[in-house]
Amino acid sequence: MTIASAPDQALVLAAIEQVWGSMLFATADPWPTERPAEFETGLQAQIELRGEWNGRLVLTCDAGVANQIANAMLGLGPEDELDEPDVHDAVGEVLNVVGGSVKGALPGTSALGLPGVSEVTEVPSRDESFVVSWGDAPVYVQIVPDAA
Amino acid sequence: MRALVVDDSRAMRRIVGRILGDAGFEVLEAADGQEALDLLAGPGDVPELACVDWNMPVMDGLTFITEVRRHPEWRAITLMMVTTESESDQIVRALAAGAHEYLIKPFTGEAMLEKLDLLGLLPTSTGV
Repeated sequence: MTIASAPDQALVLAAIEQVWGSMLFATADPWPTERPAEFETGLQAQIELRGEWNGRLVLTCDAGVANQIANAMLGLGPEDELDEPDVHDAVGEVLNVVGGSVKGALPGTSALGLPGVSEVTEVPSRDESFVVSWGDAPVYVQIVPDAA
Repeated sequence: MRALVVDDSRAMRRIVGRILGDAGFEVLEAADGQEALDLLAGPGDVPELACVDWNMPVMDGLTFITEVRRHPEWRAITLMMVTTESESDQIVRALAAGAHEYLIKPFTGEAMLEKLDLLGLLPTSTGV
């Protein structure tokens, strides 16, 4: 069995930078490794990729950051309060567009699933993630291959 | 003019709807291809434009476009696929199914307006 190359961190980071810039009018910089990146409750969006590489992309951030991302996407002010379904939908769509960019850069033919969003109370392990910035807050990104 | 925005993301429907609204369209929304077909089959004028996402639950955008093209009474609808699907073979599939234009997410408002201008769907369009 051939194991296709997984989407690497540089590819996913480039997709995030593109989406942050064009949809959210923000910049995404790598989060310094020595800087704490904690939060208590947050949102986690996931989307599956199926093709030569099988797995999922996972984006996790603080609930307040998720609200800010949704507001930026919809052209609202950072402190405007959106309903929870609207925040979930917007964060899911952001990951959907990131996933589409990643899929388009992978070799061969792949299919993208539909995004799913849920609440989380645990911050992902930094050993299994890379962290990018949303303003002055961390956003965790994971590239998770299917279990063998 | 009327435009139908078909996307399972409410946020994306709002974004596309705002661009089209600012361009002078009356905007209708549907959350999937089946809901869009039901809307077209209902009372009211047929829209001049439909902006259609590809990956949606219930009925995807490619199936929706294929269905629209099977109905002679909907032939006048200009179909623009608005999607994250960026591979050339996917673009070819959409155009072969009957899409007139293809816009890849993420996109800017200017990019969408350029496409509409090329399609002759803006008040100032030259329809080049």
